[in-house]
Amino acid sequence: MEFSASPIWFIALPMLAAFSSPLWVRWRVLDQLLLGIPLGLLLLALGLFATVQQAPLIETIVIAPPLGIHLHLDSAALLLVALFCFAVTLVAAFLWHGATETHLRGRQPFVLILLLLAGGNGLVLTGDLFNLYVFLEIAGISAYVLTAVRDDRPALAAGLKYLIIGSVAGVFFLLAVVLIYLQTGQLNMAAVAQAFAEIPPAMQGLIAVLALIGLGIKSELFPFNFWVPDVYRGSDPAITALFSGLLVKAFLFVLVHLAVLIWIDPEIARIWLMTLGALTLMVAELAALRQDEMRRMLAYSSLGQIGLILLAFGFLHESTAAGAFFHLISHTLAKLLLFLVAALLLRRVLSLHLDALTGAGRVYPLTVGLFVVGALCILGLPPLSGFMSKLWILQGFAAAQTFWPIALILVAALIEAGYYFRWIRVLYAPAAASAVTDSKTSKTAPESWATYAPLLLLVGLMLLLGIAPFVIEGALVDAARALLDRDLLIQSVLGVAAQ
Amino acid sequence: MLELLDWLDRPSVLHGLHLVGSLTLFVIGLYGLLGKRHLLKILMSLALMELAVNLLFIALATTSGETAPILSDGLTAFTGMADPVPQALILTAIVIGMAVLALGVSLAIRYHRLSASADIRALADAQD
Amino acid sequence: MTTNRPLLLKLLFLAVSLTPTLTLLTWDGAWVWPLFGEFELLFQLEPLAAFFLLLLALGAPLVALPMARGTPDVPTYALFVLLLLGMQVLLLAGDFIGLFIGWEIMTWSSYLLLIRSTRATLEGAQTYILFNLASAFLLLAGLLVFYSATGDFQIAALTEASTAQRWAVFVLLGLAFLVKVGVLPLHRWIPLGYDQAPDLFSAVLAGLISKMGVYGLLLLPTLFPDALAGLAGRWLNGPTAGYGLAWIGAITAIVATFKAISQQDIKRLLAYSSIAQLGYVLTALGVGSSLAVGGAILQTLVHTLVKLLLFITFAGIILQTGQRRFNDLGHLIDRMPVAFFAVLIGIIGLAGMPPLPGFAAKYLVFVGLIDARWLLLLAAMMLSSTAAFIYCYRLIYGPFLGHANSPEARDATEAPMSYLIPQIVLMGLLVLLGIFPGWAIEIIVDPVLTALNLAPIGAPSWGELATPYGGYDGVILMTVFGSAFVIVTALFWLARGQLRRAGSPYDLSFAGEVPTADMPLHYGAGMGRELRRIPLIGWILAHTTTGIQAGLTRQTLATAGLLGGLYRRDPQTWILLAVLVLASVPTLLLLNGGNS
Repeated sequence: MEFSASPIWFIALPMLAAFSSPLWVRWRVLDQLLLGIPLGLLLLALGLFATVQQAPLIETIVIAPPLGIHLHLDSAALLLVALFCFAVTLVAAFLWHGATETHLRGRQPFVLILLLLAGGNGLVLTGDLFNLYVFLEIAGISAYVLTAVRDDRPALAAGLKYLIIGSVAGVFFLLAVVLIYLQTGQLNMAAVAQAFAEIPPAMQGLIAVLALIGLGIKSELFPFNFWVPDVYRGSDPAITALFSGLLVKAFLFVLVHLAVLIWIDPEIARIWLMTLGALTLMVAELAALRQDEMRRMLAYSSLGQIGLILLAFGFLHESTAAGAFFHLISHTLAKLLLFLVAALLLRRVLSLHLDALTGAGRVYPLTVGLFVVGALCILGLPPLSGFMSKLWILQGFAAAQTFWPIALILVAALIEAGYYFRWIRVLYAPAAASAVTDSKTSKTAPESWATYAPLLLLVGLMLLLGIAPFVIEGALVDAARALLDRDLLIQSVLGVAAQ
Repeated sequence: MLELLDWLDRPSVLHGLHLVGSLTLFVIGLYGLLGKRHLLKILMSLALMELAVNLLFIALATTSGETAPILSDGLTAFTGMADPVPQALILTAIVIGMAVLALGVSLAIRYHRLSASADIRALADAQD
Repeated sequence: MTTNRPLLLKLLFLAVSLTPTLTLLTWDGAWVWPLFGEFELLFQLEPLAAFFLLLLALGAPLVALPMARGTPDVPTYALFVLLLLGMQVLLLAGDFIGLFIGWEIMTWSSYLLLIRSTRATLEGAQTYILFNLASAFLLLAGLLVFYSATGDFQIAALTEASTAQRWAVFVLLGLAFLVKVGVLPLHRWIPLGYDQAPDLFSAVLAGLISKMGVYGLLLLPTLFPDALAGLAGRWLNGPTAGYGLAWIGAITAIVATFKAISQQDIKRLLAYSSIAQLGYVLTALGVGSSLAVGGAILQTLVHTLVKLLLFITFAGIILQTGQRRFNDLGHLIDRMPVAFFAVLIGIIGLAGMPPLPGFAAKYLVFVGLIDARWLLLLAAMMLSSTAAFIYCYRLIYGPFLGHANSPEARDATEAPMSYLIPQIVLMGLLVLLGIFPGWAIEIIVDPVLTALNLAPIGAPSWGELATPYGGYDGVILMTVFGSAFVIVTALFWLARGQLRRAGSPYDLSFAGEVPTADMPLHYGAGMGRELRRIPLIGWILAHTTTGIQAGLTRQTLATAGLLGGLYRRDPQTWILLAVLVLASVPTLLLLNGGNS
């Protein structure tokens, strides 16, 4: 086993650092590790792209599949792992260099963030259903704590809500896993995929619905996503950036991955996923229209984009799936930017309410300018990456002569423009910016460039991917292939062709 | 009487009973989750639901007469043993469930200290 | 060093504003930029695009010059540069993706420029961006249908598509561009946007950005060759699809003209007049013949020059007086003579009166309509272009003649040089084009016509405009008008001593009442109000699309509130919903399974 070629590092290293960090309280020098590890993993992930393109890396733990647990690093998983490491590195750097909030300083939040990374990576990498449940709970628990870490009333309320609804999701998913094991005697995803067809149809449906509800709650799909705005509102924006940029994406990937693997009939899977995606998209965008709190508005917008990504994945075509991966990346970039901007604003103003932010653009030109860039990227306006990813998805639908998703996506984008531009307009309102200037401006020192560096890096990446999308084209197409090619996955894991 | 016991000992009957029992437990948990307002009761209900799932798994994965899957004096072959996987899994699930429960309770206590309320409806009132 | 920074910034800004000129002069060949898959952006300069690039090359530095005045406003400069970049991308694009990219960059950068104005309201800003994005998304939808039919995004004739696809592309793209030119009833963003935008930026909006819609409309004949006749055959002497477009344009022109007459705000009046003028262009494009399209192109050119001139001039007036309503201005002829001449030239061009090239443009359009035997349309055009005289008259009378109605108007001085230079340049250009209509036809219009596969109009000499239905000589015409103007002015100056002058505007009485200071005596005040009493026109003026738009907004927001309510319940409701889904879905599945 070579050091550099093992997917297990993506899980083990953050966990190791997280759990061992209380041991080095005395040696502050080692704290740099907390920031260095995600960065190192990001570099490792980037270095692995060429290898994984040849063949997926499979890391078996003790016993070979289908009996033992294994980690499966294919192009799709690698893309997401790289994205997660990037997101964590970025948010960690942002917090490292200037978190004024005491509860986000020091070791504790970093421990939790590293656990979140381990959970997210594990969700994407694992090839075993029960292991998936374990990672779901690891990611969940660290997310609950991160939500509540501010330890005041709204944060605790949000954390409790998240914990309750998240546990319900966990129970549903566990029940689905249990039923699968009882029916097939397998937990390995590839083996389950082969055996699933032999389960009685009614039981198939029950398992599917249980898993769908469990993962649907976690990945914020429409009839199950009512908790999202409250939780996003209650937690710190920098943390929410990770929820929106990392956690949801991991669950969404798991959902699509399982749907592709386990559902024999792609037509049914397509109907289900696309309906859910379309519903999530429209409902969230409409509901966002009347939000007067920035974090809530961003939460709804995040929901809408998740719906769009699911709509594109759910079509189960290579072209839209590649576009969906692209959109997933560009949405992560944009939402990281927007939530970090919210975090920056919250350091200076008391409230992120629309009325309180009137005219903020004239007081904090750079911060609000970054908000505008992020909003433009979310809206899919060129030359930012959001446009290219949407175009990719749309042309995929057009090439397949399916026009209703195109209409839906465009209408949703128009509604989205309705509220984002309302915010932009208010942020630049000429009205006396008294509400903004009165609050905390005087006592906070101006932010250094180090604070803005992560944000500017995000803007640079959005521009790069928007102008030159071909730089990641290969990775996206490989990822889409790896996600959709069920037989290939089963073969690579079990060494036999699927029936 | 013995016949009845024998009948009860048949795997299908036993599994049926376990199924009914754990589903009842699950529904009780669900009722508590939906009907009760105190945060601790909600968390207890969650624990109950998880317990029901665990029970279901363990019960349905074994048949009476099987022994624990451990080799020891006199047991030198893997025959007549229960499937070890569910037990291992359920142990993990119990640990996870306990961790979530502990976290939930501690959050609830913190919340109660700050707001003097342990009502789940009060959580919904958190406004902007 | 630090003292020079503003100056350097301004010089840089002015230099960048010359980039369209540079592109126009130096761009040759095709530049390809890969995107993903088999898609790539192709940038090349087609003759049609070159014409619009010429407009941009003329307009950009002329607007940039007054914009560079005062303390440098870096965000505005940056956004203006982005806007120019977007428009150049749009024009250079040889494929629809590039066109769309340019279109969108133009849209959002112009929006951000617009909200830099202190007058921009939430309603105005939202209307502007939503209409424009709706237009952009219609364009995107249209080009996706185009792609699904051809498998390519290259701008080329749509020959192998089914009828449904052709109509879908035509309707979607047509609607997109019609929103941009502001056809009724899709026009609401124009009066709001032009009115609320920063004053100089209104010139860009009216003069340059709206022309991109015309560019789009001119692409339609490229997609559907034979002047749209392939879509639905011919009607009288022209294409049927074009006949529909022409009527949309004519109705727009008539209604917008009357709307313009009844405005009390200068910039709103100019906005409605823009809508009306582009209505003429649309009508001419609908005819699709060489004469009419030539007229449309010339009209586009003239309208750009005129609207740049008028908006820059009025921006200067607003800068000097702070007033923008007819009621609050007046008697500026003495204090701002250059502005007076600029507006005079501007309205002559706007009304399409000889000797300025607006006349040549209208003449070509009318002749084109006669040629197509669309006489009812011709009558409609006549009606609106005659009515246009009234608002043109208001433009000169309101601000410049009569009494000064506000202290600011009384003490105003001429606008700064950076405003005057563009005014003088534009006046000169208009007069030159008036003298040499044949030159405009040969050098500017004919290459575009050739590129559109239409017969060039041609001209016997630079001074002459010639059509099969007759023409005129611009040199002679200008000489006659010039001499008449000189003679009348000379007589007026000679007789000046004998005219009685009122000592004060209140030196009068009527019906035994002596007017007070707050009574508007200005003849321009309330002008156009009487129009409301005329049956049909009154009805048009009384009805707007505001209600529909407000209703739509209200309904959407109500739905949003309803859905948002779902998200505000307590955790137990969320779980209940999940459980209900759990219970209902298997039931449904079982029922279905039982059936099949």
